[in-house]
Amino acid sequence: MGFLTVLKKMRQKEKEMRILLLGLDNAGKTTILKRFNGEPIDTISPTLGFNIKTLEHNGYTLNMWDVGGQKSLRSYWRNYFECTDGLVWVVDSADRMRLESCGQELQILLQEERLAGATLLVLCNKQDLPGALSSNEIKEILHLEEITTHHWLVVGVSAVTGEKLLSSMDWLIDDIAKRIFTLD
Amino acid sequence: MSVVGKQLNPVQSSNAAAVATASSSAAGSSSAGSGVEANGGSGGAAGAAASGGASNDSKRAAEPSSVSPDEVLHLTKITDDYLCSANANVFEIDFTRFKIRDLESGAVLFEIAKPPSEQYPDGLSVEETMLAAAEELSLEDTADPNAGRYVRYQFTPAFLNLKTVGATVEFTVGSQPVNNFRMIERHFFRDRLLKTFDFEFGYCIPYSKNTCEHIYEFPNLPPDLVAEMISSPFETRSDSFYFVENRLVMHNKADYAYDGGIIV
Repeated sequence: MGFLTVLKKMRQKEKEMRILLLGLDNAGKTTILKRFNGEPIDTISPTLGFNIKTLEHNGYTLNMWDVGGQKSLRSYWRNYFECTDGLVWVVDSADRMRLESCGQELQILLQEERLAGATLLVLCNKQDLPGALSSNEIKEILHLEEITTHHWLVVGVSAVTGEKLLSSMDWLIDDIAKRIFTLD
Repeated sequence: MSVVGKQLNPVQSSNAAAVATASSSAAGSSSAGSGVEANGGSGGAAGAAASGGASNDSKRAAEPSSVSPDEVLHLTKITDDYLCSANANVFEIDFTRFKIRDLESGAVLFEIAKPPSEQYPDGLSVEETMLAAAEELSLEDTADPNAGRYVRYQFTPAFLNLKTVGATVEFTVGSQPVNNFRMIERHFFRDRLLKTFDFEFGYCIPYSKNTCEHIYEFPNLPPDLVAEMISSPFETRSDSFYFVENRLVMHNKADYAYDGGIIV
């Protein structure tokens, strides 16, 4: 967190946080976003751009950005890095075939300078599916223990049942708040 | 004027009936009964009727607009006129859906969307393309160029009692990437500012479809003001300004009534 960033945050009347949801296509980013905001999740089609939600939560204004995860869209992710306070990396826990490329994409993001100040929340989604790997197994495969550059947490969730979704988002918001708003 | 192909699809929700009635009509055609006369749209359905024409006008030079975001943020009332021409939308930004929901009940209070066939003109059949072309001609020849930049909403008084509301816009962009896309919306009752929205979308991917939902607490308005707003239909109005790299590319207007369902 640079000094200028701190100043910028301080100047704002409202406490704002920018949270970026990324992950491979079909990981469930939009479903998680909609679930978190109390919207029906029965008719969700692939995101061919972004979905933004701005809302008040726990006294903060959250700007949540969900950007499409298809391979052709990933090169555009970098356009959304600026000023990101929290990165939510969404994993399809049942998609074993693509966990390796999922890990590679995450590693690329972690080396990104403009995300250096962001807290990382890894959501192992689709825990309701029978073949889903646990969050511990995914932690191993994605080598999360090796991350020293970011505050991070890995949680098994289900966007369909809502399991652990709210509590993990609250952890993210708390962690960001501790880093950014401590001068208040 | 025939604008059949440009009509917006009202999506009715039975839950919504108590708060809002919604019906729609395309630019120029009349809307029967109560409800919303959506001549395209404001923050959302905006330009749905107009942009079909505008998107094919890229050869025509856009009129430069010198209005800055700062200037519109300091306006003390609704503008008398549109601050940019309908041709300023050189990025082919097209609003395809507008939705309002009540977070407490989950009810969709209002939803209006462009039919998918009109969102992607390239996917149309030959007949449809011909029809669309003919309609664009008639729009250009006879229609008010500002049709489709204005929407009228009619709600019941219950709308003003809502606590938390989510307003969604969905829009597509054309072949060019859009940088620093920013929306500023100003809501007034007469000359009193009720609410300002100022949001930076930033970058938009070429040919992308994007959504943005603002979930907000309804402004806490004093009871006498609420009563006045209910008894003064369409004196609550809004301007929606859209900037790309600080240059005004779209300006839409809306007005609102809250006396729906009141039996005089």
